[in-house]
Amino acid sequence: MWLAWRNLNHDRFRFLVTIVGIAFAVFLMIFQGSLLVGFLRASSKTIDMTESDLWIAGRGVESCEFAGPMPERFYDIAAGVKGVAGVYRMTVGFTFFQKPSGMQQSVLLIGAEPGIGREFPIPYADAERTTVAPEAILVDRSNAKALELDRVPLGIEVGLKRAQVVEIIDGFGSFFGTPIVFGGYTDSLRYLRWPGEGVVFLGVRLQPGHDPQEVKAAMQARLPEVDVWTRDEFSLRSRIFWIRKTGAGAAIFMVAVLGFLVGLVIVSQNIYATTMENLEEFATLKAIGARKWYIQKVVLTQALACGIVGSLLGFLALLPLMDPVKETISWIYMPWWLPMGMIGVGLFMCVLASVASIKKALAVEPARVFRA
Amino acid sequence: MPEAALAADQVNITYGAGPAAVPALRNVSLSFAPGRLVLVMGPSGSGKTTLLSVLGCMLLPDQGDVLVRGQSVRGLSETGRVDLRRTSIGYVFQAFRLFRSLSALDNLLVSLDVSGQRGPEARARAEQGLAAVGLSDKWRLKPGELSGGEKQRVAIARALINDPPIVLADEPTASLDWRSGEGIAAMLLKIAQEDGKLVVVVTHDPRMTPFGQRIVTMQDGRVVEDAERN
Repeated sequence: MWLAWRNLNHDRFRFLVTIVGIAFAVFLMIFQGSLLVGFLRASSKTIDMTESDLWIAGRGVESCEFAGPMPERFYDIAAGVKGVAGVYRMTVGFTFFQKPSGMQQSVLLIGAEPGIGREFPIPYADAERTTVAPEAILVDRSNAKALELDRVPLGIEVGLKRAQVVEIIDGFGSFFGTPIVFGGYTDSLRYLRWPGEGVVFLGVRLQPGHDPQEVKAAMQARLPEVDVWTRDEFSLRSRIFWIRKTGAGAAIFMVAVLGFLVGLVIVSQNIYATTMENLEEFATLKAIGARKWYIQKVVLTQALACGIVGSLLGFLALLPLMDPVKETISWIYMPWWLPMGMIGVGLFMCVLASVASIKKALAVEPARVFRA
Repeated sequence: MPEAALAADQVNITYGAGPAAVPALRNVSLSFAPGRLVLVMGPSGSGKTTLLSVLGCMLLPDQGDVLVRGQSVRGLSETGRVDLRRTSIGYVFQAFRLFRSLSALDNLLVSLDVSGQRGPEARARAEQGLAAVGLSDKWRLKPGELSGGEKQRVAIARALINDPPIVLADEPTASLDWRSGEGIAAMLLKIAQEDGKLVVVVTHDPRMTPFGQRIVTMQDGRVVEDAERN
């Protein structure tokens, strides 16, 4: 549709303003989308990284981060349910981390038994990942600076007890401000100083061929005092908790919507102004026998051309910023489908923005071409 | 006697309603044979442009009918009227109405594009169209870079590009200097005489008078004189 391109090319300044508006909107939508996806991903990462088919948690627990202990005997009961291959204990709680400078920092400590999952951060002592290093702690790179870790190994204190940061890990940055550190299960019980028993979650692996829902039902019947979830269910529950109850998800979503609306207004105004400026030309097109679809195609092509150029520009502008942003927001995550989706949203925005212009162009009286 | 290329049959048009109603055309009946240059003349507000809009299928009469090569316009849908305009009528406007973002050649190509003609054949045809009005060397210039006479010649080439049997022109010389105006008038006569097209020109311009083969004079929405010249 070369007429549309020529129209855009004729008024390059307006074209530029339009594509900058779209680029800004798409940039904002992809960025906010990456925050949202990253936030969701981070809020269930400790659950997703386990290989537990089922999770046993205290009644009403909604996330991995906020939970209380349950009786130790539940471990044995769970292990006795038909179809269970193994049960692994996990403890979680807030404690104090004493930095090398002597300053105290509140941290969330997660300690789990080997077997909970090969990718789950546990300070192993051996390459086979069977033995846990004593008094060892893992810290995510994004929290290293806050915890004054300039080298490893480094002796510190956790819960007023001796510990040693043995490794800096990646991909487990805190998404709620307080640093998350990882330790072995037994040491973590000491550091957290739970009164009495300290098991907070039980991760259950099933024997091959057993239906998780059936074992879950059997487990729930045997342990009516707690909640039993499949991993996916608990992961979703955790995401919903962080999205809904903290308001963070809504805030991120609202900024993304705002980006969409700002883009919509800019694109609408510019496409409408372009249409109004070319109204006589649309009347001429009608006079010389252009059908409705031809005129629709001209306006729509103009809008989509702006949309494609602007969206790609917005995406390309964001790419080089992602790595620097990750240094501050370690959990931000842009999956491949997000820019695709947001470029799609950007194009939809342009189509939506052209509706009023199309109406105007179609409504113009062809007879007005006779007016000088 | 050949079939009329274009005819108006008892056409009435009124603008507005009630006490503010202004009759623009009153019982206008005219029949136009092909191969003639017809001038429609008359003072401002006499209904010339309204007549042209009705003959050009852009306005539907309140009463009466328009027949384009025997085809009644009244019974046509809007799409039907659009198709009739595209296939049967070429338009030349006082204000040229060229697409300012397009070159002279592209202005002709738009008309072909609207008719579904694209590619090298369309381009060759557009080049021929420009050559016919003596603008071969100015094909890449945009309207802003052309003189008034040149713009009107591009507009005439555009009106003829789809080879319509009827050409309607609204004050085609009004914006032009004396020499350019005469050139355009001669060109329109040539189109009627040599190409056998009906050319209806609404004009105030006395320069056009010697070229008119028939002169229709209007006043207050009525045809007051209809004179064959030769």
